[in-house]
Amino acid sequence: MNNKDNLIPREVFDHLVDLAAFSLEEQEKSYLHEQMNNQLNSIRELEAIPLPDDLPVTTHGVDYGQDGTPPLRKDEWVACQNTADILAQAPCVEDDYIVVPDIPTTELE
Amino acid sequence: MTIAYEAVIGLETHIQLNTLTKIFCSCKADSWEDEPNTNICPVCTGLPGVLPVLNEKVVEKAVLLAAAMQANIQDLSFFDRKNYFYPDLPKGYQISQYDHSLATGGFLDVPVPASSDTGSDAYVRQVRIHKLHIEEDAGKTKKEKDRRYVDFNRCGVPLVEMVTEPDLRSAEEAGQYLIRLRQLLRWLGISEADMEKGNLRCDANVSIREKGSTVLNTKTEIKNVNSIDAVKDAIRKEIERQIKEVEKGNTIKPWTLDWDDNAGVLRMMRSKETEADYRYFHEPDLLPLVISPAWQARILEGLPELPLARRKRFMEEFKIPEYDADILTTERDLADYFEETARLYGGDAKKISNWLMNDVLRMRNDLGKSMQELNLTPAYLTELVKLTDDGKINSTIAKHLLQKVQESGKAPYTLVEELGLAVVSDDGAIRSVCEKIIAANPAEVQSYRDGKQSLMGWFVGQVMREMRGKADPQITQRVLKEILDK
Amino acid sequence: MMTELTDYSAFKLADLVKTKQVSAREILQAHLQYIEKADGRPGSLDGIPSADDDKKIHAFITHTEAIALRQAKQVDEKIAKGEDAGLLAGVPFTVKDIFCVKDTPSTAASRILANFTAPYTATPVARLAAAGGLMLGKVNLDEFTYGSSSESSAFQPSPRNPWDLSKVPGGSSGGSAAAVAAHEGALSLGTDTAGSIRQPAAFCGVVGMKPTYGRVSRYGLIAFGSSLDCPGPLARTVKDAALMLQVIAGADKADATAAMKDVPDYLKDIEKDIAGMRIGLSPDYFRITFPDPESGEYVEQELPTEIQDAVYRTAEVYKALGATIVEDVPMPNTRYGIPVYFVISRVEAASNLHRFDGVKYGYRTPEQVKDLTEMYRRSRGEGFGLQPKLRILMGMYVSAAQYAEQYYQRALKVRSLIRNDFEIVFDPGGLYKLDALLTPTTPTTAFGMAAVYGDSVMMQYADQLTVPANHAGVPGISIPAGFSDDGLPVGVQLLGADFSEAKLLRIARAFEMATETDEWRTKKPIVLEGE
Ligand SMILES: [Zn+2]
Repeated sequence: MNNKDNLIPREVFDHLVDLAAFSLEEQEKSYLHEQMNNQLNSIRELEAIPLPDDLPVTTHGVDYGQDGTPPLRKDEWVACQNTADILAQAPCVEDDYIVVPDIPTTELE
Repeated sequence: MTIAYEAVIGLETHIQLNTLTKIFCSCKADSWEDEPNTNICPVCTGLPGVLPVLNEKVVEKAVLLAAAMQANIQDLSFFDRKNYFYPDLPKGYQISQYDHSLATGGFLDVPVPASSDTGSDAYVRQVRIHKLHIEEDAGKTKKEKDRRYVDFNRCGVPLVEMVTEPDLRSAEEAGQYLIRLRQLLRWLGISEADMEKGNLRCDANVSIREKGSTVLNTKTEIKNVNSIDAVKDAIRKEIERQIKEVEKGNTIKPWTLDWDDNAGVLRMMRSKETEADYRYFHEPDLLPLVISPAWQARILEGLPELPLARRKRFMEEFKIPEYDADILTTERDLADYFEETARLYGGDAKKISNWLMNDVLRMRNDLGKSMQELNLTPAYLTELVKLTDDGKINSTIAKHLLQKVQESGKAPYTLVEELGLAVVSDDGAIRSVCEKIIAANPAEVQSYRDGKQSLMGWFVGQVMREMRGKADPQITQRVLKEILDK
Repeated sequence: MMTELTDYSAFKLADLVKTKQVSAREILQAHLQYIEKADGRPGSLDGIPSADDDKKIHAFITHTEAIALRQAKQVDEKIAKGEDAGLLAGVPFTVKDIFCVKDTPSTAASRILANFTAPYTATPVARLAAAGGLMLGKVNLDEFTYGSSSESSAFQPSPRNPWDLSKVPGGSSGGSAAAVAAHEGALSLGTDTAGSIRQPAAFCGVVGMKPTYGRVSRYGLIAFGSSLDCPGPLARTVKDAALMLQVIAGADKADATAAMKDVPDYLKDIEKDIAGMRIGLSPDYFRITFPDPESGEYVEQELPTEIQDAVYRTAEVYKALGATIVEDVPMPNTRYGIPVYFVISRVEAASNLHRFDGVKYGYRTPEQVKDLTEMYRRSRGEGFGLQPKLRILMGMYVSAAQYAEQYYQRALKVRSLIRNDFEIVFDPGGLYKLDALLTPTTPTTAFGMAAVYGDSVMMQYADQLTVPANHAGVPGISIPAGFSDDGLPVGVQLLGADFSEAKLLRIARAFEMATETDEWRTKKPIVLEGE
């Protein structure tokens, strides 16, 4: 066993699968879990990099500057012409509503 | 021994801004009368590949609100993604602002009126604002049998989320806060602020503690309340429930409660995601929002004098009572109307206030119009009040004239001429009527002369009736007295 | 050997059409016939592998002849009327199937979008069409672009390398590079998030450019890493790449990150000489660092000599053209490109893939479910392949509240370091004053089908030399620079400062012109040799 094994405990992995809303086969789980551990091992290299305190974060590499920054949108209405095409993509539609199974909740009182 | 409790309440409000279009796409914002899923486009339905483009009016309206709340407007703020699954959220994340929001801090002074119930005097509660940010609204779902029906029309309506510090101490205060907030939003012209239509929504965080304590105990969150009365009812109920629980020795759990307005009860809903992890991160599809000093200055040029300041100024400048000033500053166009009229008139502003509060407001409400829409302009109202001051018309005629001005759109003076409404102050004309009345009522004349002085009123009334109310009452009385006392 | 219409450059084709020597329709027919012969069956969801798969290219997922015919008709009508038919009049192109095109299946090579027909068209595609281009079809890629070999597509068979059909074309724009290399359309629209245009271009011996972030609108590009994704051209010549960039670049009201910078004329000075230009070489681009798959320890490895030699040969050509070669340029943060990418791209990808939930479009499980949560889980579990699942889970992990500071925030800061490397060397007032940095595009030539597939870490390290440009946002171009001993193309990469595409294209074109008559330029992909 080497240092990269099981950086992500199984409970954490299961929690992530839950958050990601995946139903997975056992075989998929073991592949994914192993690959995640490998990737995390690679990511951990970041922890060792000395970072100056005042180093800013970069959210987009490019510096847009004032003249490169696109203006905000004017408040002008342009109606979409093919809303029916959008709705037509939904797996289940009734009376122009998109229909899904109900949300699981527990009423306690 | 009974322990005195106090409530600790914070409100989280969601305010729909009244822009023409949605926050990130060019669909119109208001879908109130639209069929489901008709006011949508690829962007607000989260199709693969689409991108948000921020509506500048959203920023401007939010900045106005922030300035009105005395908040610190940030020259640089970021949009973030709040990730979670819900069928009304087409992208699977809400574009919001998290740790670098548009504005921080600020407060609203909330006058709380005296209460006969609790015997408390009027006071002002200052409610601090914790955070103010811009975000997009989600769609709507409705439950039918065991399925959910989703309508995306509301997706992308611009919202300001404003969260207060836990500074409110009663349901009544929470109600007053919402009344003042609603007034302010309409005053600024940035939201219709209609709770029934969901333009203004409110979640309440409620906890209790021993009076005088400064601890913050576990709170519950009440959701789904859609009127100010409902907010007050729900909070009252929750305070009672918490006190009961504590007195039974139970602890309060951090529940989320759903208000059922029809049944008037709170229900606890437990969804599966108990600990939500929204995994906020900066929205890469939008550049950071920069509000330059020049732009901010331009926006703030549109910031009007605020209701409470104006109320105070009305009392000082126009010498009207607090009660009047309060009513006249409930709405901005009413305050504008009052101020313009009072200036045109130049005399005792209380008179203008009386006219407005007694007659003009009632007329406007009956007509269902705004102040600006009235044919009875401040100039016409001024003219009308001056006609009464000058004795050209009496008060009965004046009220009648008010309606006529509104109906016809003509100036009061013109109408007085056209309809012959002017008070008759011609001594001769009044004298001939008085003589006629005295000649026709010998019995009453005798009684009067025998000492029943109170009949004078009756004689004046007869003359008025004959002259259809237009006789100058002073002249009439003098002439009658002259003839009768002869 | 006769030159076919499919052999011409986009530049030449548009010229032939405008001078009425050939019609758009004729060009289209020639391409359709050729594709039918060379490409083989398109990738499909139930594509069962067969031995015949190794004899064809398989670049396509969807053919769009009907659209192309309509476009050709419009071009020919415009020409007949003497109207301007556009820069790309009659030029056939393909589109990586990660772009939405109205009324066409837009699949992202994923089961979860297999039945999705886009109701709108991506901006770069709309611009190609408006310029007179003919859209031949949507080409294959790694599922949601997640990979470097195109093998992870849910639509099989996945594309082959036209120079050696047992090798991968690279990825994720593998279908694009294979199509262009195999003469199935002169141009292809790809996307580059970590090297996804440049790496397949290098593997397939074509030109591929990742423009500056924000130079080309992303509207309609099904997002992977939104702060990294760049649409860009793949072409057989530098001039064709320039021509295509000319058409697709520029601000877009629908993309708030599309820069407002004017688009220069990329062709005007493209053949001007490059004497006096400063071209850098960095030792940090001649080795890769990666964790050993067995021990997890970091291993530093020199690149194969044939890759290194190609770069040095290119540098010699530039030197001969009068450029100054600046050696030993430090790019010390290059090695962090991959770990930073593992964090940032995963966080963005996990969020971008939230919308695929079976509610509004795409795949919804056909199974009976008890509630919404089960519908989500089954739809996403059945609809996504392994690679998207892996990226989503990893993204969830590193952005979870308790780890975000440690990983995500830290990665954004290291991203600043990487950006800083470029700012220093391109600074006109700085020590290096580079016009371009010359590097290998890839650590290896095209690898065999199934050779690396499945090992997500090793697959990712193939991007080590391309990914820094995505972090920094700077433009990069990969151009063919010869062949390895076993006959596979080798690419070299030119990286430049923000919005320096015109300069990079000019430097790239200078190499192309200088080597025009070289022996290696006469080599043809295997699929073309049989003609
Ligand atoms: Zn919309």
